[in-house]
Formats: sequence, structure tokens, C-alpha cells
Amino acid sequence: MREPTYFVLASLLDGPLHGYAIIQRTAELSGGRVRLATGTLYTALDRLTAEGHVELVREEIVNGRVRRSYGLTPPGAGALRAEAARMAEAARLVTNRSRGLKAGGPTRKTSPA
Amino acid sequence: MTPLERRCRWLLRAYPAWYRRDRAGEMLGTLLEASGPGQSWPSLRDARALVTGGLRVRGWTWSLSMLWVVAGTVGTGYTFYITTKPYTWADVGIGIEGWSTDPVAVQIAVVLATAASLALPLPALIVGFIRLRGWRPRSWLRIAAWAGPWIAGFALIYQATVWGNYPANCPAIGGPENCPAIGSPAVVSWGELGICAAWLVLGAVMTWILAVPAHPWKVPGTSSRPGDEASRWPPGAGDLQI
Repeated sequence: MREPTYFVLASLLDGPLHGYAIIQRTAELSGGRVRLATGTLYTALDRLTAEGHVELVREEIVNGRVRRSYGLTPPGAGALRAEAARMAEAARLVTNRSRGLKAGGPTRKTSPA
Repeated sequence: MTPLERRCRWLLRAYPAWYRRDRAGEMLGTLLEASGPGQSWPSLRDARALVTGGLRVRGWTWSLSMLWVVAGTVGTGYTFYITTKPYTWADVGIGIEGWSTDPVAVQIAVVLATAASLALPLPALIVGFIRLRGWRPRSWLRIAAWAGPWIAGFALIYQATVWGNYPANCPAIGGPENCPAIGSPAVVSWGELGICAAWLVLGAVMTWILAVPAHPWKVPGTSSRPGDEASRWPPGAGDLQI
């Protein structure tokens, strides 16, 4: 799963959001690292909707234009959870070894002179 | 309508009409909300994402076909342009009439466009057939409709070659005395200009044939009742541990 997709799904954890709110929430969650352009967001939403990870939950008219809110589906939440677990496992692999490094560094066999 | 809105609407035309019908209003709202106060142009990032997104939705078949159309338009347009300049029989004989005065970049662009207009028809035909084959029950009609413009494109390439070489062909079809004077406005190849326009019409026809989604597409309908939302969101909240 690519990082923007991960953050789009994560932005919907607290409930359905409309397009601009997803852009804002994504930037907030990623500490400003993922700034979605509108075209990129809707490409991602089309794909995630087709995959069944996201669904349309509300439609309203704001300033004469349709505004749609999208929410996470159970399969979407599952995919997000699986990705989070995978990243946590990958992170653990490094942090555990780093601790060993701080404690005295990796043991290395030395040959007698 | 503000200048920003007008420009955003223009950029949204990168998407095909069937997509815009469902999405343009919503995307426009998001674009305007995401723009800063006083902004009168969409950001470069937004513009690029819209063009890329539009091409992705239109698909490979359309992009490849339009590349072919652009190549044909550039090739014939240039042939028309060079015949408006004075040139000699020697220029015509070596086939570079007018080129010597144009920058190298222009010459390279024309050579590439000509090569592309000859190389792209077959891939365009094949991807078009693959793209349209799934349509039922009118798929055969659509496939025939696709072959039509393709044949027309070939006819344009052939005719452009004949007319593009008109002064050079002159001796073969009646001797130099029957040819208009080289370098005079009389030999301006208006036929090439006509073919150039025909390429644009061909592009519009191809766009029209492909003006339906490759797969049935629709913004998914609202499946939930508003009252259900509180109990459904987030789904799997009880066991989600991140």
C-alpha cells in the first residue's frame, strides 16, 4: 500500500469525510508530509471505491455543488489494519536491533593475531 | 464565476464528459476549497494532477490515438507551412524544402511527428479493438466504427504524402510546364492544410467513439441511511488497534 493511500484510509478512521476534509486530515496525520492534490485524491478515491475499501455515505449540496462524503468499509479497515501491523513489525525489526547496538554493538568474532 | 473557477473548470476538461457529469461539480468544490484566498490560478501541482488523472481515466487507447492525431496534425501542418515559404526545385529534390531555415529543434520535432504518425496506427488499432471488444450487444458496431477512422487516418497519411510531394511529382504527371512556379504563392499546399484540419476532425470522431467508460462506471450510490452512520463508523472500531 502506498503512503498516500494509507493516509487517505487512516483519515477516514474517525468517520466519513468529504474531499477537502480528507486532504486536510491527511496532511494533519502525516505531519504535512502527504499533501494530496485534488486530482490525486479523486484518482485514489475511485480506485479505493472500486476495490471496496471506501464507500460513498452522504451526498449534499453546498454552494450549488454536490459534496460527497466517503467512509471506510470493513474490508478497507481490515486492509489498513494489516498494513499498520506490517509496518509495526518492520519498525520493530529495526528498533530491537538498534537497542542492541546502543547496549554494546553487535558481537563480532575476531581472529587471533 | 471567478477567474479561478473558470480556470479550474477548463482544467477539468482533461477528464472525459461521462466522468465530468458525475464528478466535475464535486471536484470543482474541492479545488476551490483547497485554494488559498485571492488565488486566481490553480496551483501547478493541482493542474498536473488533474491532467494526469484525466489521462488515466481516458485510458491508453485514447492517449495513443490522440498521439497519432497530434503527430499527423503536426506533420501536415508543417508541410503546409513550408510550402508558404520560397523554395527551389533543388530543395524539393532533396526533400528538405524550407527546413534549412528552421531551427534544428523544429526539424527534429517534425521528423519525430512523421515517424510517430507512421508507427502509431497499428498499436492504436489493436488497443482500440481490445478496448471496445467488451461492449455488448453493439460491440461489433463499435469495432467497425473504430476501423473507420483508422482507415481514414491511413488515407490522410497517403494523401498528405501525394500532396506534400506535389511540386516534385509535377514532371511525372505532365512536365514542369504544367506545374505552378516554384516559390510562388501558387504552390502553397492548401491541400495539406485541409488534411491537417481533417486530422483534427478525426481526433474528435475517435474521442466520440471512445466517449464511454471502458468498464461500466458510476459514482457509487449512497447505501446507508443517515441514522446508521453513528453505529457503523468506524467499521471494526472495537478491534482496530493501530
